[in-house]
Amino acid sequence: MPKCKINGQEVEVEAGTTIIEAFKKLDSEIAHYCYHPGLSVAGVCRLCMVEIEGNPRLQIACNTVVQDGMVINNNSEKVKETVKWGLDFHLINHPLDCPICDQAGECELQIQYMKFGQYDPEMAEPKVKKNKVVDLGSKIVLDSERCILCSRCVRFTEEVSKTNELGIFNRGDRSEIGTFDGKPLENDYAVNTVDICPVGALTSKDFRFRQRVWYLKNKETVCPGCSTGCNVKSYYNEEGLFRVKPRQNDEVNGYWMCDKGRDTYKFVNKENRLLEPKVGQSGQWDSQEVDGVMSVMSTKIDDAVKSAGSDKVALVLTGQYTSEEYASMLSYFVGHLKSKNVYHWVNNPESFDEFDGLLLRGDRNPNTKGLLNGLDQHGITAPWSDLETKLNAGDIEVLLVAGPEDPSVFPTLTEKVSLFSKAKNLFWMSAAKTEAADSATTKTWQIPLKTYAEKEGTFVNHKGIEQKIQPMVNIVDCAQTLSEVASALSGQKVDHLGSLVKDRKTNHFINHHGGGL
Amino acid sequence: MAFSQETIEFIKKECQRYETRRSAILPCLYRAQKEDPNNQVTPEAVAEMATLMELPEVQINEVLHFYTMYNKKPVGKLHVQVCTNISCSMNGGREMAEHLCKEFNVNYEEVSSDGRYTISRVECLGSCDTAPMMQVNDKYHENLTKEEAVKLLKDM
Repeated sequence: MPKCKINGQEVEVEAGTTIIEAFKKLDSEIAHYCYHPGLSVAGVCRLCMVEIEGNPRLQIACNTVVQDGMVINNNSEKVKETVKWGLDFHLINHPLDCPICDQAGECELQIQYMKFGQYDPEMAEPKVKKNKVVDLGSKIVLDSERCILCSRCVRFTEEVSKTNELGIFNRGDRSEIGTFDGKPLENDYAVNTVDICPVGALTSKDFRFRQRVWYLKNKETVCPGCSTGCNVKSYYNEEGLFRVKPRQNDEVNGYWMCDKGRDTYKFVNKENRLLEPKVGQSGQWDSQEVDGVMSVMSTKIDDAVKSAGSDKVALVLTGQYTSEEYASMLSYFVGHLKSKNVYHWVNNPESFDEFDGLLLRGDRNPNTKGLLNGLDQHGITAPWSDLETKLNAGDIEVLLVAGPEDPSVFPTLTEKVSLFSKAKNLFWMSAAKTEAADSATTKTWQIPLKTYAEKEGTFVNHKGIEQKIQPMVNIVDCAQTLSEVASALSGQKVDHLGSLVKDRKTNHFINHHGGGL
Repeated sequence: MAFSQETIEFIKKECQRYETRRSAILPCLYRAQKEDPNNQVTPEAVAEMATLMELPEVQINEVLHFYTMYNKKPVGKLHVQVCTNISCSMNGGREMAEHLCKEFNVNYEEVSSDGRYTISRVECLGSCDTAPMMQVNDKYHENLTKEEAVKLLKDM
């Protein structure tokens, strides 16, 4: 394995490694725009210049393979001067509209300018005018003047999504990104081009102008959109979640995520949530306190078990919850109630086994595998048709349903609710506010649950890889987890913070600097 | 407009000729332009080429837009390309181009109302020793004056 010296630091790398990868291995900083580890090498931005001892000219680090004994640096005056000029060339036709640009705060060009530049431009010529606010379809907007032609997005559509929408047209200073004959950039992975765009040329319609990025915090979590379980970062502030971006995990998702996964922040936010427990049926609802509903649920279950045996109580679970929640709910049912009436609600059986060949899977739940593992452990094998038969025969006294967190992946929600309405008492636990649940025709209690952004736990993806999620925001104070419901049912008093901090005032400034939410 | 059978054969043959099919884009575009009644390459022609060559449309479009010698807009019967690079400019090439526009009542890159002329200014055509000069379709006309150029074009 070749050894080399980078800025005085010895490093050993595998044969065939490029200099820029060796820099990354050492966590040593190197300016670059066009290089991306998930794409082929283009070598067009000329910013990753390094000086190799014995080599009269500077070389680009992204396309030069490390040879044994190389002595490399990128902190000599010669390199700094070259990068400064390289940057100057990038800025010749760049509008420098950072104050109104949505990329400001996470723009590579801005970062490098603050590092190497901070001078007045030396070009006397007027800037070339190009197309601005180009509509590239339903998800993306292009500003050609900001583009530095790094070609990352073009390589992405060619190599990763293999849809070939984008290209570079014209030449010289008139070159710009575009699509053939105005065709839109519509594929399931299109917004990745926004992530990899080092400047503000490609921006996401969903996120642009909604928040300045420096007002957002982020935490690492797992996308709950399907059973692939892409590793993501969620960006949030005290108002809720604003966007989701992928983070690298070679075993799961590489560097990418699908556009459907990017919508998974929406159902977390207040406007789509069930905000308080309520009781009623057929559109007539009264609000309730959490403790009250819990004790009603507990009493109803006890009464049913006492009068007619635990067969009259059933539980329906979906693949949307954490393994820990399944464990506590199942041990309550199997251990405490001695009942195996637990059923797996498969939300979309027709498209469940589909796979688009890249990341998106037809199983649109994050933890189906975790649920199946839990059911296996307790030897629960009852098929869904059993539940249907029992409900149709009027054999179910109390039905607990841990319903959808993201109702958009439950195409047959209304039909299922009308099936569940055949139970005498329905306890509908869900994070989402849905018309379907409000239309339940039997006596129903709706209990708000926490979403993946408000709790910790484990998701098991389709390959069986266990991944942790962590809490980041608190959107609905009185929301419960299934574990909390299970312990309340088994007689423990749940000390939920909700009622203590109701209507408290939030200090945005303190939050921004790391205060609790 | 669909390609003629000969053009289709030509494109298929060119695709076999090089190591990668992308290399055949240049000759195929040239052929498509030759065949077009307006001497241009239309998006429809690019789309048809893409199917024939089994390449993404965008890759053909990139090449098409890189080279100025492919016409993206309709061109008249006589495509007059006046060199306005250094030697020709010094000898009145720019003035000649202006004069031609006035004479035939047409703007640069547009087709005159009778459909005969399109006048464009181009970079060096490698005929500096005989400046000023112009290229009409495939032919060079050298050592010109304004008046000679007008006469030449009117007689064609």
